[in-house]
Amino acid sequence: MSSESPLRVIFAAFLRSGLRARRTRLFILLGLVPALLMIAVRLLEGSGAVETGASGQFFSHLMLSLYFQLLIPVLALFFGSGVVNEELDNKTLVYLTSVPVRRRDVLLGKYLAAFLLAALLVAAGFLLSFLASALERLGDAGAWAELGLFLGTALLALLCYSALFTALGAFMKKSILLGLFFVFGWESVVQYFPGVTQKFTIVHWIKSLLPLPPGQNSFLVFQLQPSPPMQSVLTLLVLGALFLALAVFIFERKEYILSDNA
Amino acid sequence: MNPVLRAEKLCKWYGNILGISDITLEVGPGITGLLGPNGAGKSTFLKIAAGQLKPKLGSLALFGEPSWRNPGMFRRVGFCPENDSAYGEMSGADFVLLLARLHGFAGARAREAAGKALATVGLLESGGRAVKSYSFGMRQRLRLAASIVHEPELLLLDEPLRGVDPLWRIRIMELIKEYGRQGRAVIVSSHILPEIEAMTSEIVLIHQGKIFAKGDIHRIRGLIDRHPHQVSVRGPRPRQLAARLIDGDFVSGVEFAADGRGLTVRTGQRDRFFAELMRLAAEPGAGVEEITAPDDNLQAVFDYLIGK
Repeated sequence: MSSESPLRVIFAAFLRSGLRARRTRLFILLGLVPALLMIAVRLLEGSGAVETGASGQFFSHLMLSLYFQLLIPVLALFFGSGVVNEELDNKTLVYLTSVPVRRRDVLLGKYLAAFLLAALLVAAGFLLSFLASALERLGDAGAWAELGLFLGTALLALLCYSALFTALGAFMKKSILLGLFFVFGWESVVQYFPGVTQKFTIVHWIKSLLPLPPGQNSFLVFQLQPSPPMQSVLTLLVLGALFLALAVFIFERKEYILSDNA
Repeated sequence: MNPVLRAEKLCKWYGNILGISDITLEVGPGITGLLGPNGAGKSTFLKIAAGQLKPKLGSLALFGEPSWRNPGMFRRVGFCPENDSAYGEMSGADFVLLLARLHGFAGARAREAAGKALATVGLLESGGRAVKSYSFGMRQRLRLAASIVHEPELLLLDEPLRGVDPLWRIRIMELIKEYGRQGRAVIVSSHILPEIEAMTSEIVLIHQGKIFAKGDIHRIRGLIDRHPHQVSVRGPRPRQLAARLIDGDFVSGVEFAADGRGLTVRTGQRDRFFAELMRLAAEPGAGVEEITAPDDNLQAVFDYLIGK
């Protein structure tokens, strides 16, 4: 009767409704904050209030601290955990589980839509920040390579974090709190532990792919003992796949009770 | 003939709270009313049937197949849940079209199926609006459209008339009856007896998680009609009205309201009492302002039937 893949149907429908959602508009505003900061630094640089070249350094700092340690995990948390949690909160899961579609297709379709939405938000913010910082270097291939590196790493980070939080959302109803604890507790602290301990964080593998920002002997980064880039890419991909497989495993088996008025 | 639904010793509880207990039931084509007060276990039963909940003990099969973790079954089954839930950002048309596509319809066929389902529930014109702008009754009709978009052989409807305006209530009841006439199976739940009575004579009474009675509604109706009812009447001349009513042997007691503007009548023969009351109320100068039946709800009837 149909040649349409249910995964694709779900992906397209939830990407469309995600683009219209109020929450997405809120995150667009949040994603613009770094770009606005970047523009502010450029203006200060132009007026001579800060030394010339400060915007280049600021761009690297901005990417590392604001995007990779804050915005990307937080976006992944809200979009990833929302894949299942939103359906439970709105009691809409029943519509997706009373159709002849495997639950894995439902979860993967929604995950891909959430990932793409978050990726678009991050990419737009990156591009704006980059344009603001490197306006006079747009012909410089090195500047574009740097943007490519940041963007590629951001996608890997989003893939991995979103998969983790999708699994968490499939496992428990109120997963945001635990997710926030993971982002601001575990990830923020353990990444600075010496030796192999820091490898138990996702952010370690992300940072290993990024150039160390100027001032690398500062307190926040002095403990980073980067892993080889290829190993980091593979680790992030494998972790993402494992978290996603776990999410599917849970979602296919778990009984979700949508009402207490049984 | 194989039953459409077969439940055997079906039990479900949520922690310490009992959902349903030891339900054994077979349902065939036609309309079956699932009647019981709020919290009786109707929704739990329908959710297990719709594969949304896993039985704790016992089994439930639709068309001979278990419903839990069996998505393929939904090609033949439609489920209209009781929750007032919706994708607020989607339009009504997009929502039904999404479900049509997930049911296996593609392209023009999907649009045609979605359009037909929306037209059936009177939402074709407002289909382009976001669901969050719909009234409660419209969302209820939208859920119904979603459950019939693939024209299932078995329709599970959990309180489908809740919040629907009187006109659409009649139309939806007619739609359900049409499904029954087509030889499909419909299981429809409600806590309102007349609603079920208007759709089918085959009912299952469910109370405190158990099947209390099953069969023809007329037999159950007989039991219910012998239940001593209380009816309150408000008006300016309650004593005159009481004097007229008390002549009938169907009245077993009368009590006047403290404010002198009402009375409560006890009767063991509901239908005869109401016939007489309506006749008196229609007389010029009767002054009957309001008639209410404080214990005429399903819980009271069930309490009576189980001998509380």
